[in-house]
Amino acid sequence: MTAERAFWSAYINTQDTVTQGRLTPKVVMFFCAAVLPGAAQTAPVTFNTALPVAAGEFLLREQFLYKSVSDDPSPLDRDIDVLGAVSVLGYGVTGDLTLFGALPFFNKNLDLTLPGNDRVSRDAIGFGDARLFARYTLLQRDMPGRSFRIAPFAGMELPTGDDEDKDSLGMLPRNFQSGSGSWDPFFGVVSSYQTLDYQIDVQAGYQINTREKGFEFGDALQLDASFQYRLWPRDLGTGVPGFLYGGLEINYLHQEMNQLADSNDRDSGGETWFLSPTVQYVTRRWVLEAVVQIPVRQDLNGMAVEEDFTVRAGFRITF
Amino acid sequence: MSRIRFLCFCLALVVSNLWAQAQMPVYAIGVSGLSCPFCAYGIEKTLHRVDGVESVEVNLRDGVVLVTMAADAVLDEATARKAVKDAGFTLNSFSQIPAEPLP
Repeated sequence: MTAERAFWSAYINTQDTVTQGRLTPKVVMFFCAAVLPGAAQTAPVTFNTALPVAAGEFLLREQFLYKSVSDDPSPLDRDIDVLGAVSVLGYGVTGDLTLFGALPFFNKNLDLTLPGNDRVSRDAIGFGDARLFARYTLLQRDMPGRSFRIAPFAGMELPTGDDEDKDSLGMLPRNFQSGSGSWDPFFGVVSSYQTLDYQIDVQAGYQINTREKGFEFGDALQLDASFQYRLWPRDLGTGVPGFLYGGLEINYLHQEMNQLADSNDRDSGGETWFLSPTVQYVTRRWVLEAVVQIPVRQDLNGMAVEEDFTVRAGFRITF
Repeated sequence: MSRIRFLCFCLALVVSNLWAQAQMPVYAIGVSGLSCPFCAYGIEKTLHRVDGVESVEVNLRDGVVLVTMAADAVLDEATARKAVKDAGFTLNSFSQIPAEPLP
């Protein structure tokens, strides 16, 4: 099979499990769900925070997203749209220990050009892989009106999403399935410094993707930083006023190449930098938030498709 | 005559209510690390679990939480410290606010 045929077949062949492009479920899941469950307090919009969830308190975070991926260097002219929702539930076991669960739902659409210039459309709709993890506050320094914390976290991504979805053209490509089919551990550490005026969060996370049915998504490293500043009210009165924050987040994502059998898929993996302006309105019981993630640098391997942008908006409530 | 009786009844009600409130001990708890509105709800929730707590009022700017107890209830520092710790924060001061004299 020539390289070109293999490339085409990845999108139309029912059996071939080679993945092309970078929008793998792992990337979508890791970026949309793994680091997202920052359900606690005034968290960054795209990743977690070290701030606490009170013992016995629940937090629900719902985030809706739209992602456009269409910068395709290959003759396939792939155009991928993702509509999604990520639900995150957090529970404070103690003031230091919090358990999180996240379940994404994706509606993915892929348009591509086949040999002969036929344009086809493929869809994958369903729940993705759920994630369960725990976060523990290892270091806490509280001062009046400010707090510094460091909290490691670790968990597992479960194969709850469909990884054998088919359409009229046959089996969907591995990179387009809703789920990965594999059990994948992940871990990391997040640190937060919060004052009444601003908040800084940084996080490092790593996911070890395991082999399933002879296929393995590349491991993923993500580094994040966030700065949020209170825009309103400028002067704090008494009581608990709502805060309007403006912020800027930076995300770095590195993914290793995927592996089929024992060989690397040279059209997978790579590095992406995102710059993301954010806005949040925070009250005692709920938070509204929105972000636009702009890929400012993409260094992807082979014929990977580059992302255009992602928009997220959502809310958090505590009960 | 009935109007005067009604006014007397209302006055007695107001006075007894003020008297009852004056008997409800109020505590001021200084909390370190409290720096956003979302934090406030967690600390309200853990303090409301303490027996005898009638109301909790957070002042975010000053990092002070006012806890009003039932007339016959007492809040001790260890209990307040644990409630603050359960919310994920640190107690830095604890005092009972003297009851205001009735007008």
